[in-house]
Amino acid sequence: MKRTVPLMIVLVGGLLMMIQYFIPHQYSQAVFNSYTEWAPIVGAFALILGVGSLTRVHSHKIRRKVKNWQFSWAVLIPLFAMPFLGIIWPQSLWGGMDEPSIFHFLFMHIQVPIQSTMFSLLAFYIASAAFRAFRAKSALATVLLLAAVIVMLGQVPIGEMFGRWLPETGLWILRYPNLAAKRAIMLGVGFGILATNLKIIFGVERNWLGGAGK
Amino acid sequence: MNIWEKMLNVDRRWIFLAIGVVSIIPFLIGVGMPITTTAEVESIFNFVNELDKNDAMFISFDYAPGTQAENTPMGVAVMRHAFHNNVPVFITSYFPLGHGMAIGALAYVTNPSIPGFYQHVSFEEWEVFRSAGITDKDELVAAWENDGNVLPEGARGWVFEGRDFAMLGYAPLFHLVILGMTASIEAQYPQDVNGNLLNEMPMLLEHKSLREISLALTTAGSSACRAWIVYGREKVGVPIAFGVTAVMATDYFPYIQSGQIIGQMGGLRGAAEYEVLLAQNEITETTDKAFTGMDVQSAAHILIILLIIMGNIAFFAGGFHKKTAVKGRG
Repeated sequence: MKRTVPLMIVLVGGLLMMIQYFIPHQYSQAVFNSYTEWAPIVGAFALILGVGSLTRVHSHKIRRKVKNWQFSWAVLIPLFAMPFLGIIWPQSLWGGMDEPSIFHFLFMHIQVPIQSTMFSLLAFYIASAAFRAFRAKSALATVLLLAAVIVMLGQVPIGEMFGRWLPETGLWILRYPNLAAKRAIMLGVGFGILATNLKIIFGVERNWLGGAGK
Repeated sequence: MNIWEKMLNVDRRWIFLAIGVVSIIPFLIGVGMPITTTAEVESIFNFVNELDKNDAMFISFDYAPGTQAENTPMGVAVMRHAFHNNVPVFITSYFPLGHGMAIGALAYVTNPSIPGFYQHVSFEEWEVFRSAGITDKDELVAAWENDGNVLPEGARGWVFEGRDFAMLGYAPLFHLVILGMTASIEAQYPQDVNGNLLNEMPMLLEHKSLREISLALTTAGSSACRAWIVYGREKVGVPIAFGVTAVMATDYFPYIQSGQIIGQMGGLRGAAEYEVLLAQNEITETTDKAFTGMDVQSAAHILIILLIIMGNIAFFAGGFHKKTAVKGRG
């Protein structure tokens, strides 16, 4: 029962949505509309599970004082403080999410700079990694290195000072060899997704049952 | 340790310092090197340029703050273009954090301290005109100005909430939201982020579903942009354009060739190209942040290429390629 019911739901739901896609009838459209209204509601329950699970894991760490348990407070405090400030805290005391509010201030002055800083660090690490690892050790590595240099220079205005051929060669690399390789990869991935989805729908692949399928 | 070994083992903090210096100096000097535009960006510009007040478009802020330096200028540039042509814009977000990015972009375009801004008129402010049935943009502007409202100095025009834009923001499971909007936008977003009812907005009454939308631009820092193709383009044929980060841009060239997207702005370069096109066509007075940022990118790319060349010189001149080969065989 524990396995059969979820498998049947997936089989019926999967087949229904697949068939529905190709039938432009009003009943088919009603099924589709009903699905798009229901799915976000069902999805919202995943949020409850996620928050519950995250809270349990980190409160467990704090209780047991496991290594680096202090950082769990950095997860739990914002997890509950932000919704509290955005939804419950009175508007008269800078509550709510719109500017001016504490929620908005924290988002703009903590969340945004933190994420931007983390992403900006990439430039520093890429420069260091390029210096240490980008070597013309073989013919293929040399092709990769040359392509990278041409595309990098072609993407910036200073590259055009070497002549129009440089950005145009960079674009040619992106539009043809890159496109061909990407298309091959995407087709492979696409077929893989199709095969996996069919396996899930027909119950061949059961890992998503979280062990219950074994 | 010979000179080549010393060169290869240079403390990485010197490299970090060099990147830091070349990133800051161009901002201070402001070189302003010219940028030529590419077909991928021109096609988006030309498409938006053909739209008018009878069309409507989506601009979706599908990224987190980490990639805002690349993505935000794209959204801002296209939003300015749309406002200039009086094209109504639905603003959405795939991620909760993108919601803040969307609000920030709209605030930037309507900020009176930034040259070439658009004067924001909230939904409540023009309720009287709406109740009187004045919803056509030209008639609305005429009636609004006849009522004594004067366009502030430096502003390029009025933007009326509900007529020119609707801030729909983030909704959970956004791929399903896109799917749902193929049938009805209002069913997915009964209200905008300010609590205004969508069924009272003229732009929604004229464009009820994605089938009636002329363009959807997704500015994305992840593969979220694909959802617009899978659920928007393939389901109802809405034209899609991408504004993606530079590292992602290579992934989406196949979609351009297949005609599934009309064009793509790749990284800061793509945004800068759009800014150049706006300025060339006198839609904005000047270029903006992306164009300025390209000087920094030029300097950083040159430095990285110099580092690669230096690394290779040291590697081969020091004979390390032979040592590696021997070690590898062993």
